Amino acid sequence: MGFFAPWFLAGAVAVGLPIWLHLLKRHKTDPKLFPSLMFFEYREVSSMKHRRLEHLLLFALRAAMLILLALLFASPFIRRSNAAPDGKKITVVAIDRSFSMRTGDRFARAKDEALKVLANLRPGDQAQVIALGGTVQALTQIITDAAELRAAVAALQPGDSRGSFGELARYLRTLSEGQKLPLEVHLASDLQKSGMPPGFTDLRLDAGTTLILHSVGGTVPNWTVENVVAPRRIYDPKRVRMQATIAGFGTPAAKRTVTLVLNSRVSQTKTVDVPENGRAPVEFVGLDAPYGFSRGEVRIDSADMLPGDDHFFFSVERADPRKVLFLDDGRHPRAELYFRAALDSSGDGAFQMETLRPEVASAATLSNYAFIVLSDVGSLPSGFNDALERYVTTGGSVLVALGPAAAVLPRVPVLDEAIQTSNYAGREGDRFLSVTDLDAGHPAMRSVDRFSGVKFYQTIHVTSSKSRVVAKLNDQTPLVLERSIGEGKVLAFTSTFDNVSNDLPIHAAWVPFVAQAALYLGGGGAEQPVNLPVDSYVELRAVANTGNNSGAAAEVLDPDGKRVLSFAEAVKANNFALNREGFFEIKTASGRRSVIAAHADRRESDLAPIPKETLDLWKGTGMLDPATAGAASGGDPADPKPWGLWPYILLLLLGVAVAESVVASGYLRPAIQERVGLKKEAA
Amino acid sequence: MLQRFLDPAVLAGLSGLDLVAHTVVDGFIAGLHRSPDFGFSQEFAEYRAYNPGDDLRHVDWNVFARTERMYLKRYRGETNCQVTILLDASRSMKFGSHRIDKLEYTRFLAACLAYMAGLQRDAAGLIVFDDEVRNFVVPSTRQGQLARLLHAIDKVQVGVRTDYSRPFAHLRQFLHRRGLIVLLSDFWEQPEEIIKTIAPLRYHGNELVLFHVLDPEEIRPKLRDPVLLEDLESGATLEVSPDYATHEYPGKMDAHVEDLRTRAQGAGLDYFLIDTSRPLDNALREYLAIRKGRM
Repeated sequence: MGFFAPWFLAGAVAVGLPIWLHLLKRHKTDPKLFPSLMFFEYREVSSMKHRRLEHLLLFALRAAMLILLALLFASPFIRRSNAAPDGKKITVVAIDRSFSMRTGDRFARAKDEALKVLANLRPGDQAQVIALGGTVQALTQIITDAAELRAAVAALQPGDSRGSFGELARYLRTLSEGQKLPLEVHLASDLQKSGMPPGFTDLRLDAGTTLILHSVGGTVPNWTVENVVAPRRIYDPKRVRMQATIAGFGTPAAKRTVTLVLNSRVSQTKTVDVPENGRAPVEFVGLDAPYGFSRGEVRIDSADMLPGDDHFFFSVERADPRKVLFLDDGRHPRAELYFRAALDSSGDGAFQMETLRPEVASAATLSNYAFIVLSDVGSLPSGFNDALERYVTTGGSVLVALGPAAAVLPRVPVLDEAIQTSNYAGREGDRFLSVTDLDAGHPAMRSVDRFSGVKFYQTIHVTSSKSRVVAKLNDQTPLVLERSIGEGKVLAFTSTFDNVSNDLPIHAAWVPFVAQAALYLGGGGAEQPVNLPVDSYVELRAVANTGNNSGAAAEVLDPDGKRVLSFAEAVKANNFALNREGFFEIKTASGRRSVIAAHADRRESDLAPIPKETLDLWKGTGMLDPATAGAASGGDPADPKPWGLWPYILLLLLGVAVAESVVASGYLRPAIQERVGLKKEAA
Repeated sequence: MLQRFLDPAVLAGLSGLDLVAHTVVDGFIAGLHRSPDFGFSQEFAEYRAYNPGDDLRHVDWNVFARTERMYLKRYRGETNCQVTILLDASRSMKFGSHRIDKLEYTRFLAACLAYMAGLQRDAAGLIVFDDEVRNFVVPSTRQGQLARLLHAIDKVQVGVRTDYSRPFAHLRQFLHRRGLIVLLSDFWEQPEEIIKTIAPLRYHGNELVLFHVLDPEEIRPKLRDPVLLEDLESGATLEVSPDYATHEYPGKMDAHVEDLRTRAQGAGLDYFLIDTSRPLDNALREYLAIRKGRM
């Protein structure tokens, strides 16, 4: 018998507490007044009586409660053999099908090892075949049919996921808790170091679980295209710049030829010197992609044993610059100038600005615009206001700037926040306001350097009951607010876009602010990335979406062009896991289409195996005595397993507590009757 | 029904001593009419020839009309007796284990006795003492005597310790006229000393009645746990076990009471033990029996 937490046994000392209290209570009796002590005598028995415990049964029960409580916390256990009396066990055959198993003949060897294990099973032995990737997949139930087990192994194909031994250990722990028999786990794997979880405790196996490793790997030099940075959309093919990183793991210094392939056509080729066991960047300028989605690939000529990571898929979309509607009533002529200049100078020319007066904007087709800017336009024609709201609800975006014209409005257009006052920072007062709080993680606030040095002379105070405040001024009034309405979003700036109400347009933060806000509102910024590793999830519909398209179907075509989702999944699934390499065509519930390139996790390219010491420690976690862990490649399932006694102690404690209540009420009853008697007398 | 008014705990709820005395005595007397053992009324005793100076209110004018002689009508109640109530106000009298303490009980008893004496036209007086004479109301039959007595009883304050020698030596100077002396005390003293001190009061023909007022807890202490007892008068403390209080103390207390009773009877004194948990009528019965004997 042992204790999982023996230091809690010190709590048993608490049993002395009632004794001490008992004696203390007796000794500290206050003097009782009596008319005369004429006939009283001092007797030793009186003092001795103090030290005598009364109500021994009650005291014993209470002391027992304290001791049982301490015992409960100390969590005692007895060693009990986990092995079944007849030596039965469950054999678990785990085959690593992670991306790295595509190296050479590793996967075939792993399957051979698994088949050998299955061949050694006796008739009637229970076994299960599982596959290890990003998650653990049970290929069979726990069965005795050897033919079915072999068929499961034979049908297994290598995957593109990243192997995780932590997931395997978690699965085995769950299996061990659910089964009464010991587990004998055979893992056929390349035992890749990158498959280790961050903490070793995640590898812990339950007692009675024997891990037997069948290593099919080893250290092999491997080059890979580690990463490709490509724009999501391109508008001017000549201005596109792409970066690729070529990495070598356990490799000597070598020259590699890097090829850019677009739509199965070689676009560019470059040669790069990859240092020994290092990385080298490659840049491609210009990408002559046709309109629409293009499937790209960066390849190297590695001639190593893992050709699967010698290419890196990426997806780009070529489109015309999107139109931006700038509504201005002519009150702030420089606002249009500054905004247009910032938009044109920001990067790849994704947007084309078109300026209209509010009174003629009703005739415009709003859905043609990437986003709409309301530059302090005051009240809007009612029809246009409704059209704006519909535009936002269906996925459009609006940027609202507030100035003197907005000060007379009761509410901010589209954003629907109340306008309170217009604040002027005069010479006699604060002189100017500045930004103090800013959500630097917001997509529209990237690279704005917290608006440092920008002075705001006039701002409009608005409420923020429905919106999220992205930036605040030093008087704690909102400067930038954001609100999502339906599928779209509204960004409000509580000052103007000219240099009258503030000097933002003549600061360095202006261009990044406009560029990032345009990307965020007009698309390309906040949308989900299109180049993702395998096992990533793609959002098919917004979780909180209650809009009109809640029943609309999403669509996913896998790299083979097959529909992946069933009809039920298409109308209900919120996301989809990219389970293999290649190009997935996605149509979200909101109707947006995209081509997403999935590539294997490049941590799989590092084929360095786990050190033997670590493997021994891992195997040892499933054995009772860690000292013997390294001695055997497999544990003895007959080793005794600690069996917790806490449920029995808890039951005993409850029983004693009930008995204590009964006994204590018996002692207290006379006192209660006395009190009742006194009450009756008083009545 | 009226008996319940004699319960000390009930009496403690009454507002004034006069009301207490009135309630107790009237209720008690009403009950006596049904009792064959006692008779009480202002019965006619005799005629006496009028002497100059006698109160004309007592002249029997019917006899004068028939005989043209003036006679005074005398009743048994007018056989004057001087009743002096000695009330022990020492600190030990403040002890009480239930709703009223011994001093309170003694005050009720003294008030009832004074009221009853007033009904019988006895000249009632009061002496309050502890180790000194604290208050003295001269026995009298004057108008308002009852009020004076009740006021004095009401104002009784707890004193210090009991010492019979000094106050009783002082009392002998006042008690010249024969009468009835009622001593209300808890008698926490050696019986020999008590009797030795108070027996001389009988020398002038006084009849002395000792009412030994004790709380039930003093007679049979109920201790569950060992306690530290503190003497109310001396302040001395003593650790007492329940075992002793249950088995040995009662025997000593009974011996003390018996000794006091024996010595009192030996000295020609009447002795009555009164338990403060019991109604007041017992004490009143004793008083009446003695009063009857003196008529």
